[in-house]
Amino acid sequence: MGSLPAPRLFTLQPGSGVPIYLQLMQQVRRMVASGQLTPGTELPSVREVATEYTVNPTTISKAYGLLENEGLLQRNRGKPMTIAATRPAGSLPQRLKQVEPQVEALVLAARQLELKASELCQFIEKKMEKNRE
Amino acid sequence: MNEAIVSTCGLGKTIGRKEILRDVTVEVAPGSIVGIIGKNGAGKTTLLEILLGFSPATSGSAQLFGHDSFTLPANIKGRIGFVPQQDDLVNLLTGRQQLDLIAALHGHWNAALIERLGQAWEVPLERGILNLSGGERQKLSTLAALGHDPQLLVLDEPVASLDPIARRRFLHEMIEITAERTRTVLFSTHIVSDLERVADQIWVLRDGAIVWSGPLDRLQESVVRLRISARTALPALLPLADCLSQRVSGARASAVVSGWSEQRRAQLSELLGAEVSVEPLGLEDIFVELHS
Repeated sequence: MGSLPAPRLFTLQPGSGVPIYLQLMQQVRRMVASGQLTPGTELPSVREVATEYTVNPTTISKAYGLLENEGLLQRNRGKPMTIAATRPAGSLPQRLKQVEPQVEALVLAARQLELKASELCQFIEKKMEKNRE
Repeated sequence: MNEAIVSTCGLGKTIGRKEILRDVTVEVAPGSIVGIIGKNGAGKTTLLEILLGFSPATSGSAQLFGHDSFTLPANIKGRIGFVPQQDDLVNLLTGRQQLDLIAALHGHWNAALIERLGQAWEVPLERGILNLSGGERQKLSTLAALGHDPQLLVLDEPVASLDPIARRRFLHEMIEITAERTRTVLFSTHIVSDLERVADQIWVLRDGAIVWSGPLDRLQESVVRLRISARTALPALLPLADCLSQRVSGARASAVVSGWSEQRRAQLSELLGAEVSVEPLGLEDIFVELHS
């Protein structure tokens, strides 16, 4: 009670129509991408976020759970969740974003050659499988 | 799966020739905060009263903790706390006398919690109840329902006479007391902005029937406004099965649908030859759309 409360980490707007768990996920992803949250950083507990922002705890634990599945957060027994240390370079949308320029160039070339999306996808799948072998 | 705290099946209530509730089938899991919204006269209070066993259902069934609501044993009743819309406080007593009286009726009384909440909510316990404001009566009435640590708290319009600050404090406590997931809360309101914060389940009651029930997140994701823009004129009536409202003007349209999922976007976009963007709706807009 004596220490000053920590500044608010998130901006949750229950009235915006965007489910709170989505708002929270987007903010954590953004803060990790920008380096504001670094690997090992502890996140406030579900209960702390719920009471601090006066929002239902279920939606907070849903966000944490989904971020854990994405590999962005790490669950620690009896301790706060932390930003995961080893993880792929960002979430799926982030990683897709990284190949976007190449994909755009590919799409342009495919259009000029009158290739269908399905034909192109099949080709890419084959290439990726070959690559893995 | 945990045992449901509340469950109803095909519940109906008819008084005289008026059908107040029809075919209500719902379930409440332990630890959830369920918000019931509906216009005045939609049947919210009647539903709560039947769940609590104050009046029998005309058809179907209602169960609390696995027991028939209308014949609840005393030990089950002791697990419930209820704050009615019209309080039943005794005007001749002070707040503290009222609480002492209720404490005496229960075997267990959490005096520390009541003391803490009384201070946090600024309830003048030493004042005569006759001289309390509407908001103060409501807060006192809530304290009276919380003291015996009920597992299920049922509140009928708990925040109607509270100012915004008092409401926020009240909601904060609701989160606090349910955070351990040992308490379940069921409350009716028409202040939908409060539900957006604290409820995890929503029941929308319209003319005695449940028109939507489920997690708040899912409600917000399924009832959305679509903005559609095509190169050429759109059909005068968009082919949307679950459309709640739509407006078409030339190559542009907006529509509110009730069963949206992101997979539908590409399909719809192709069908109409148009760009489709999705706009989330606040709960109040969703409520209005579900009544259109």
